[in-house]
Amino acid sequence: MAEQAYTVASDSETMGEEKSSSTVPEIAIGIDIGTSQCSVAVWSGSQVELLRNTRNQKLMKSYVTFKDEVPAGGVSNQLAHEYEMLSGAAIFNMKRLIGRVDTDPIVHASKSLPFLVQTLDIGVRPFIAALVNNMWRSTTPEEVLAIFLVELRVMAEMQLKRPIRNVVLTIPVTFSRFQLTRIERACAMAGLHVLRLMPEPTAVALLYAQQQQQNVHENMGSGSEKIALIFNMGAGFCDTAITATAGGVSQIRSLAGSTLGGEDLLQNTMHHLLPDMDNYFSRHGIDEIRKMGLLRVATQDAIHKLSTQPSVEIDIDLGNGRKIYKVLNRMEFEEVNQHVFEKCASLINQCLSDAKLEVDDVNDVILVGGCSNIPMIRNMVMGICKKDVYSGMNPLEAAVRGAALEGAVASGVNDPFGSLDLLTIQTTPLSIGIRADGNNFVPIIPKNTTMPARKDVVFTTVHDNQVEALIIIYEGDEKAVEKNQLLGYFKIMGIPPAPKGVPEINVCMDIDASNSLRVLAGVIMPGEQNPSAPFMEVRMPTVDDGHGWCAEALNRTYGSTLDLVTVQKKVQR
Amino acid sequence: MCCNSAVIIPRLDPCFSFLPTRPDIIPFPASVSFRIRTVFPLGPSKSIPNDTDQFSGSDPATLYDLLGIPETGTLLEIKQAYKQLARKYHPDVSPHDRVEEYTKMFIRVQEAYETLSDPRRRDLYDRDLAKGIHLAFSARRLFESDEQMEDKSEWKSRWQSQLSHLKKRSMYKDSGDNMSWGAKMRKQRNESS
Repeated sequence: MAEQAYTVASDSETMGEEKSSSTVPEIAIGIDIGTSQCSVAVWSGSQVELLRNTRNQKLMKSYVTFKDEVPAGGVSNQLAHEYEMLSGAAIFNMKRLIGRVDTDPIVHASKSLPFLVQTLDIGVRPFIAALVNNMWRSTTPEEVLAIFLVELRVMAEMQLKRPIRNVVLTIPVTFSRFQLTRIERACAMAGLHVLRLMPEPTAVALLYAQQQQQNVHENMGSGSEKIALIFNMGAGFCDTAITATAGGVSQIRSLAGSTLGGEDLLQNTMHHLLPDMDNYFSRHGIDEIRKMGLLRVATQDAIHKLSTQPSVEIDIDLGNGRKIYKVLNRMEFEEVNQHVFEKCASLINQCLSDAKLEVDDVNDVILVGGCSNIPMIRNMVMGICKKDVYSGMNPLEAAVRGAALEGAVASGVNDPFGSLDLLTIQTTPLSIGIRADGNNFVPIIPKNTTMPARKDVVFTTVHDNQVEALIIIYEGDEKAVEKNQLLGYFKIMGIPPAPKGVPEINVCMDIDASNSLRVLAGVIMPGEQNPSAPFMEVRMPTVDDGHGWCAEALNRTYGSTLDLVTVQKKVQR
Repeated sequence: MCCNSAVIIPRLDPCFSFLPTRPDIIPFPASVSFRIRTVFPLGPSKSIPNDTDQFSGSDPATLYDLLGIPETGTLLEIKQAYKQLARKYHPDVSPHDRVEEYTKMFIRVQEAYETLSDPRRRDLYDRDLAKGIHLAFSARRLFESDEQMEDKSEWKSRWQSQLSHLKKRSMYKDSGDNMSWGAKMRKQRNESS
């Protein structure tokens, strides 16, 4: 399976190289695939423009319906009513499902969606299906995303009157490299090549850098470094970033994120209105799906209204004498979702402390995303930062505009007026390391390391005459290794027999401009210049589904026989 | 500092550095160790002869030379120099045919910036420099290993205390077989006091 993932990427790569004959740089488009909404933008030669679909929409709902023979996505399809999206025939929220296994709590929370999310709780990909002619027709999040991306590509190609191949996609901060391969695979299925993947707040940061640069030009401002805190909360994810901007360069100082968003606010509120919701809907029959849709639409409506009014009346008739009538006020809504807001606040504080900055250092606070209108979110962000929110950008378009800017910059486009004299210096959102020192996670590239990066750490053997060592690569920030995301594993062979602690096993990781991770490892005996055996070079991730099992299986088979420990670095002069 | 000294050449193939078919961005040095680094020339004007001739190839200049600032440079100057060099060497903006070479430079510039923009690390580096040690990357590594040393000694003392505790327990176990619970407790109390 692991090899296959690669083949897809390599295939798409070869296609890309065949196409490199044109002399004009192909400008990559920016795509923001939101959990709930999606948009496309491109550098038009003088500015960023958002593309519209045939119904003149800039923001399109992210869903694919399998109702008819040909699946149709939110770009081309017109919904007769919102309930149509909730009939079970449409798959949405794919961004919350992609690259997750069926033991993941996020997948479990998705089981109350109208389409079918079936889990067997054994650590494999969940079964996802749409209701077509009273039958559950199976699909995958990658397939759904690919169908949607094809529609976006066709729409962009029609408007720009050229083939589209290269894209810059925005992604949540918390996405693991495994999830990124799923996104890349969906793009490959849609005939798109991912030029860059940008965590959403970093795309916003680039737009901010451009705006600051323009201000400097217009007002002859000082052009000194400005610190901005970006808080981006959409339907599926909540991400924060701190950027230091000067001279059009956005240097990301720290990133923090969580899988929390409007969907959680919605589900918490639905549970509040109908406490036995999960039981009530668990059968997933057609009648239940219809009732689920009623509750979902009514709750969504109520939450929207609570952004502008203090209380809202909810009146739902679920049939069979089951009625929900409630006046929900804002305070109650905030109480029900208290832990969500607390987590959001902790992300901001974490971001500040990771960047080694105080609240007073922040020049601008940027609040974007679909949840930015919720009073509690605004108050929380302004309360922590002791500042009003930056008003210079459209909260729903900022990320896609930033992605389009990066698309132009990374495609090598030059603007005579200097509007593209921009650079985004990205950092790693999660640590990458290996299992060592027993069952511990030892980071080699720590979180918030500037990319491209290259780091190495020296390890050694734990047994006398240990001739092999297992390198198991993880991504995450948990100390206990199994709580992190497994990326891959391989074995170093040919370690010359020696007492434990003598062989130097060098593990080096590098990340290039396109965020591709490579692990190099090998053994050097002390006093020698050359490696004892050829070094290994492995591109990550190599694991596919069932990765949880792989780590357990390795542990079962090898125990600690092929373990490694970190070496205290000796400073030799 | 909006001046842009970077030469931006439109790239022919925007997917120049994507996944597997791409050649290695950084070939692995033949001799791998934290202190022996492949060093890249900074251009003739910046290169100064190095007294530590164990380094093959070109010499490592000081981190100040790398950023092109004087040793008395302020934090602002360091930041400005870093951003200017980033605009030159970052793979998003570097010329298409020199991405690999420039990426290496970017990583060095980044390390120099990280060392010099952190007062503690800069101080350590300056002290090394004063002693005539021109290892471009030693200051940071030194700092890291100092930190690890602290960690390790703390860990070691904790481990030793656990070990002695365990030894004590196993001693009781051996000798306690014939003792009553009360006798064991009395013995333990006597020992621990």
